[in-house]
Amino acid sequence: MDEQPVMVFKDVVKVYPLPSGDVTALDGVSFQVDRGEFISVMGPSGSGKSTLLNLMGCLDTPTSGEIYISGTRIRDMSDKELTELRRDRIGFIFQYFNLFPLLNILENVTFPMMLKSQKAVDPEKGRAALRSVQLDDSLFTHTPMEVSGGQQQRVAIARALINNPDILLCDEPTGNLDSRTGAGIMELMSDLNRQGTTIIMVTHDANIAAYSRRTIRIADGRIVE
Amino acid sequence: MIFWEIAKRNIRIHMLRSSLAMLGIVIGVVAIATMGILGNSMVLAVTDSLRTVGDSVIVTPHVGGGMFGPGSGAGSVDLKITEQDFQKIQRASAPNVAIPILQTSDRMKLGVGSDDIVAAIYGINPDDVPDLLKLTAGDYSRGNSGCLVGSTFADDNNVKVGSRISIGTDGAKGTLRVTGIIEERGMAFDIMTDSAIVVTRDWFDSAYNRNDYDKVVVKVKDLDDLSKVKTDIEDQLNKRDEIVDVVDTRETMKSIFEVFGQITTFVTAIGGISMIVAGVSILNIMMMSVTERIKEIGIMRSIGAQRKEVMAMFLYEALILGVVGSLAGGIMSLVGGYAVSSLMLQTTKYLFVPSTLISIVYGVSFGIVVSLICGIYPAWRAATLNPIDALRHE
Repeated sequence: MDEQPVMVFKDVVKVYPLPSGDVTALDGVSFQVDRGEFISVMGPSGSGKSTLLNLMGCLDTPTSGEIYISGTRIRDMSDKELTELRRDRIGFIFQYFNLFPLLNILENVTFPMMLKSQKAVDPEKGRAALRSVQLDDSLFTHTPMEVSGGQQQRVAIARALINNPDILLCDEPTGNLDSRTGAGIMELMSDLNRQGTTIIMVTHDANIAAYSRRTIRIADGRIVE
Repeated sequence: MIFWEIAKRNIRIHMLRSSLAMLGIVIGVVAIATMGILGNSMVLAVTDSLRTVGDSVIVTPHVGGGMFGPGSGAGSVDLKITEQDFQKIQRASAPNVAIPILQTSDRMKLGVGSDDIVAAIYGINPDDVPDLLKLTAGDYSRGNSGCLVGSTFADDNNVKVGSRISIGTDGAKGTLRVTGIIEERGMAFDIMTDSAIVVTRDWFDSAYNRNDYDKVVVKVKDLDDLSKVKTDIEDQLNKRDEIVDVVDTRETMKSIFEVFGQITTFVTAIGGISMIVAGVSILNIMMMSVTERIKEIGIMRSIGAQRKEVMAMFLYEALILGVVGSLAGGIMSLVGGYAVSSLMLQTTKYLFVPSTLISIVYGVSFGIVVSLICGIYPAWRAATLNPIDALRHE
């Protein structure tokens, strides 16, 4: 097992220059995520959660400080390199599932594989990923709009895991689901974590955060505990 | 490739607007290709009608500025080429044959009781006639009382070999017997015989008391010598004063074709305007497509799609619209070209020749290129969207 932390933030500052004056969204944030952790990030609106999520997802780069993903420093990386990092190392799960309506469920799941391999992929891998999130085979050829919200989120999880990422990054994964379905999704995530998947989850729901094993609280751009 | 598949599916689910954009391209291709087909068919039709005189140098008396130019017959009332000048022309153009031509027009009557008509009369040495004219019926006249008639003249006046024509008011100049019908020549620089009659030079001399010539046609055997013969004649006769105008028919034809080429280009360019309108509609629906799918682009980018892949996806869409629209336009152009050729030129024989069909290839290629170009900006916009902003887009 690789002992290197999957994510390291060192004195990360993110400043958004605005005409009315600079806004400091993150102000010297430092933390480390070890392999196999299940972390929830909590904080009120405007605390810097979204900025933190964008930086953890390599969708943005810090103004100062350093971020390492599996030992790779992301500062000064080109757009192409950041995109490759997202594709190969990070799995995204969104509040609104964000599946592609033009692709069926199996194609949605194999989409990141195709991005990585640049050629046709073995659909059996996609089927296996879908079965691992307890989705019935009969749904594989349906479009996302033809299945329930909970099923869509399971597809999104399968899609996020298909390239064996180092981290699963979740943004309010149950925010758009009823509590029972949400609980089902969280059980699935806990199972995945027990099998070794590193999960970082941004949420404002304490019940959901309870599934994680560590919580990072953020307020006014700083980690408070 | 998955992005190709997504592009196809996006077109399919927005079939109505995609079809309308493609219809624009179809119209653009049809406009360009049909205009090209028509223009080229016209050039070919003119080439066919002028082909017979592409090997001549025509010498006419010099006329000053403001006239319609040599060969038109204008200004030839008093200006003639003298026998002496003709000898010079003959010397300058040897060993090619120089044919002197006399020309007038007069009243004539065809049979008892018919009305007088007025037609052009050419006087040509009987020996020279076979070099200049081909017959569809009868024989070249040898005797002084015979004449040849043009095909249109024969058709219009129901004249046949053996018919008699009285020349001059009340037949004052005498009566001639038709010995042959001249093959249709169409527009020609030398002599336009279709609605004329051709008599022997001796008969012309005696009837109109003329010794000077209206023009001289030099038949050049080797076409490469055309401009040399022209220059030689000019050097011989126009040393001090401009005595004659010399026209190299091939050169003139070239100028005519250039003009036709420009006309074809102009009308095709008008067709091109409709293609530009079609291109704008492609741009419009591609922009719509990008705007509708901003969030989708954000998701793709966040899970690892490169900018160039997003760009390719939208370019594929523009390409599909362009290729399908242009190919449909190409097929319709063939039908349109056939219809326009039949209606305007009364023939479709110029349609299935490579120089005409290439118009369809141009139209189709232009359609595809315009579609792609109009897809570049929306595709670039999509590819350069900030993934964070795109993800947040509602």
